Amino acid sequence: MFLYALIVPIISIIAIIWFIGRYLNNKNSLSTVVLWSIFWIFVSLFAIFPEFSNSFARIFGITRGLDFVIILVFVVLFYTILKLYFVIDKMQNNLNKVVKEVALNNEITLDDEEE
Amino acid sequence: MEYKVTEEDKNATYVVLPAYNEATRIQPVIEEIAEKGYNMVIVNDGSSDNTLDVIKQSKKKYPGQIHIFSLMINRGVGVATQTGFEAVLRYNPKYVVSMDSDGQHSADDLDAVITPLVTGEAKAVIGVRPLKDMPRSRNYANAIMNFFTKLFYRVDVSDSQTGFRAITSDALDKISINARGYLISSEFIREINDNNIPFAEVPIKTIYTPETQAKGTNVKVAFQILLQMIRHQF
Repeated sequence: MFLYALIVPIISIIAIIWFIGRYLNNKNSLSTVVLWSIFWIFVSLFAIFPEFSNSFARIFGITRGLDFVIILVFVVLFYTILKLYFVIDKMQNNLNKVVKEVALNNEITLDDEEE
Repeated sequence: MEYKVTEEDKNATYVVLPAYNEATRIQPVIEEIAEKGYNMVIVNDGSSDNTLDVIKQSKKKYPGQIHIFSLMINRGVGVATQTGFEAVLRYNPKYVVSMDSDGQHSADDLDAVITPLVTGEAKAVIGVRPLKDMPRSRNYANAIMNFFTKLFYRVDVSDSQTGFRAITSDALDKISINARGYLISSEFIREINDNNIPFAEVPIKTIYTPETQAKGTNVKVAFQILLQMIRHQF
């Protein structure tokens, strides 16, 4: 058995526990936990049974299991980046609202300077 | 007969000036506008230089005509202009103008820009820069942005990236501006079109200096605006 076949499942278990912990603290939605748990279970399966990826690859018409894993990683990374982009965008909008509100509530007068 | 803007019209007009790091350029702009009898709402966009101090100095000279607001951090010309548009409604203006504070627009054009609003010919006006006056790189970027404004927002205008615009306060109430950066120019045009606000184009003078050319819509900014336009489709 290769070392990665041992390390990857351990990382997967830690990741799943981390997502469940965040869900219990209301920091994640249930769908996020389920989605990421499925992902990490598959990563573990691919690490422990490499030939498992071949059967999956065939379902999607990809000849090699490794190609399937690489494509899967790209899809997950793309999804993550897109999600981060939307999170940042929302934060930027919220920040703009706060900055605008503070400015609107504090018109600068010459009295401010004299104080 | 050509309409002559009265003092009463000027008193009912507020000019919104978003300002980011304009300490060396903004004073003559403010004072020229004030001398012409217009009111102003100036929004300091989190400048890192002493723009705010310069604006305060001008306010000491024209205390009744200048209102100052300051964003804590730099959020872009779009957010600064939105802040100005929201703030200006407190003073019950009839007409609201927004123009650049770097000196590329001339206060001499203010009368011409508000005239269609005063006469009722239009409820919104965009100041159109003559193509021949534009530097070549700006010219290309502008032509591309006009095309994209037509493509994405379905409005055909001669200058989609102008920062010189005017609108009646009733019409301003109807539109909703959310752009952070230079997309505000195209968004303003989209909003007046979507809300069926009659608008006019008025030719304006543009004073290009190396400093004013460094800002505004160059090819890089045009690309950013394009990405935002695509995003706004979803």
